Amino acid sequence: MGFEIFKKEEAALAAAKALLQAGTLEGAAAQEHFETLTKAYEKLFKTTKRLVRMSDRNEAELNRATKSLDEKNAMLEGLSKKLAKYLSPQVYDSIFTGAKDVALRTERKKLTVFFSDIKNFTQTTEDMQPEDLTYLLNDYFSEMSRIAIEHGATIDKFIGDAMLIFFGDPESRGVKEDARACVAMAIAMQRRMRDLQERWRSKGFTQPLQMRIGINTGYCNVGNFGSEDRMDYTIIGGEVNLAARLEGNADPDGILISAETQALVSDLVQTEEREAIQAKGIRKEVRAFAITSIMDGFENESRYVKMEEDGLYLLLDLEKMDEDKRKQTITHLLGVVQRLAT
Amino acid sequence: MDTVKIQGSERTPEVDFDFGSNVFVLSGESYPEDVTAFFGPIIEKLEAHLEAQSGAEIRFDFELVYFNSSTAKVLMGLFDTLDAAAESGNDVTVTWIYASDDDNIQELGEEFAEDLEHARFVLKEVDPD
Repeated sequence: MGFEIFKKEEAALAAAKALLQAGTLEGAAAQEHFETLTKAYEKLFKTTKRLVRMSDRNEAELNRATKSLDEKNAMLEGLSKKLAKYLSPQVYDSIFTGAKDVALRTERKKLTVFFSDIKNFTQTTEDMQPEDLTYLLNDYFSEMSRIAIEHGATIDKFIGDAMLIFFGDPESRGVKEDARACVAMAIAMQRRMRDLQERWRSKGFTQPLQMRIGINTGYCNVGNFGSEDRMDYTIIGGEVNLAARLEGNADPDGILISAETQALVSDLVQTEEREAIQAKGIRKEVRAFAITSIMDGFENESRYVKMEEDGLYLLLDLEKMDEDKRKQTITHLLGVVQRLAT
Repeated sequence: MDTVKIQGSERTPEVDFDFGSNVFVLSGESYPEDVTAFFGPIIEKLEAHLEAQSGAEIRFDFELVYFNSSTAKVLMGLFDTLDAAAESGNDVTVTWIYASDDDNIQELGEEFAEDLEHARFVLKEVDPD
């Protein structure tokens, strides 16, 4: 007899049946009881075999379903990763964790609003090839978005060359900390711009982009605006417009903040009061402060070392210097020093 | 003495039976399309081998992470065979290896072990992969 998973049970049953057929059991009652027992065992055995078969089928079905579910999950994960790029990480998280309803609902909150754009962008676009402009803009937005995310900002939207970013929703560390995080982010962005400008210049772009930033703190309406079918998570209100006005009045490579924001960050940055701004819809003039300490200590943390004088042009990208390259550069520079000394 | 080595697949376990040294290992997942076709030849060979042993030291390691009901029936039969080998004078150790986070496999091992009367049973917890 070959291998069968119920080999032993089948053998026991066959033996019992043979015994019954032989009729060697003593007494009619014993014969009858043994027959009943054998029939009951046979029935139980059949049921067990059926149950095992059924269980195997169910398990196989479950395996198939799990596999298909895994595939669907992987697909959804891929899809949500793609979708995440269209949303701010905090907005994405609050929707995907179920912390926020996707519904037309807004609330009034004190936020710090950041507005930026590129000086003379329209002029620049006319003077440049579209490919070059695409490269510059992507480089610019990628770097700025990375800094914004690092600082916990909610990136509202990119409008052409402009960025609308805010702090205080869906996550807030308190009004003061939100304002400080926003100003720290703006400074980090302008510092990074300095590096980017060097990079762009070294690639032959004669008009590197220059960013202007305006920051204001105040009550805004934040939430989902639009229709039930198509909504936009954004902010509206006079304070948002004021941030835009401040940005319009900021120096190129500068940051202009309102008195409200300045009061929250006065121990963090040095500022200089500028001419007050007359904003639409605001009766009083708005006091404005330019941050003067943007580049403090920047030379030591910049990835570039740059020297430019008549007869000398040096640009060193420290991030590209691994151990070997560093040694090689030192040898080159020593060679230059020797030539200069003779 | 020969060995039987079958590489594990998605549905079938890895088999490593060393008849010479009496060390047998069954590991991985087991839900074969045809449980009789997969286990038949190796179990028959194992049963014949164990019946011929006397005073031998026999080790059987089970390191399964998932198996279906038919496989469970095969395993119960294997436990019976190993216990019979122990009863007939062999030193049999059955080791049931399970991941520390897999309560199900641990419990199944404990249940199977209830049928062992003569063989030594070792429940061994390992770190999950």
